[in-house]
Amino acid sequence: MEEAPRQTYTEKQKNEVFNNEFLPLVHAMYNFAYRLTLDRDDAKDLVQDTYMKAFRFIESFQTGTNAKAWLFRILKNSFINDYRKKSKEPNKVDYQEVETYYNSEDVNRQITADLRVESLKDMIGDEISNALNSLEVDFKTVIILCDLEGFKYEEMAKILDIPIGTVRSRLHRARQLLKEKLSEYAREMGYKNT
Amino acid sequence: MSEQINPFVQEDGKKPTCMQMLQIILDEQSTEAQQEYFKAHMDRCMPCFKTYNLDATIKELLKSRCCGGEAPQDLIEGIKQRIDQERPQ
Repeated sequence: MEEAPRQTYTEKQKNEVFNNEFLPLVHAMYNFAYRLTLDRDDAKDLVQDTYMKAFRFIESFQTGTNAKAWLFRILKNSFINDYRKKSKEPNKVDYQEVETYYNSEDVNRQITADLRVESLKDMIGDEISNALNSLEVDFKTVIILCDLEGFKYEEMAKILDIPIGTVRSRLHRARQLLKEKLSEYAREMGYKNT
Repeated sequence: MSEQINPFVQEDGKKPTCMQMLQIILDEQSTEAQQEYFKAHMDRCMPCFKTYNLDATIKELLKSRCCGGEAPQDLIEGIKQRIDQERPQ
């Protein structure tokens, strides 16, 4: 994305790119921003900031390339630089631990044994949404990018500025954490573990 | 019957684990050949079958419950207004 050569657009072309390629993505952007900030006003500010930056730097966007990935990357960076700083809680992910986890199939099987499709189908309230929101930002982000927005590994790697291998292991760990959370909810709902 | 060629095997010849295959399928990064291979594999591998069903259900639920909302109209109007101010008159 950064490597793209600077484009030269006329004012008319700029408007076309902005209106036809950027603006239709506002709903996905807002959803992403809301999941990151967990606050509707913060999400609005974050999306607005992202669009202003996108407009100002429109010449580094190459038409025909993935506008959604380009915008998501700006939004993610704005969140980290402007919003995450405000949060008192440091977000740390131990990637050593991630790798170890990834290589442990036993852990996976154990959690899976706990949670059943039937109990998930009974989660008709906000359980799924709450479980997603409860994840640490780095884990939440990969789930959103992959499962909600359908980005490919390579696109996620660019959006997040991390290697593809890390995308994979982070996704794997994120799914496990999500399942752990859902198992908790299932237990609260009275489902017995095996 | 000859053993079917495993389309998950990488260039270095390493055979993938069940979990690695499952993740490629689940993350929707698979080729058609890989999907077919995995489908046949699940018929013989109960843990993969179970895990796949569970993870696929979670993925479906995520899609249906956690996206598809609309951005507020005042946000869209706000963006348009601010962009208009940025444009050279």
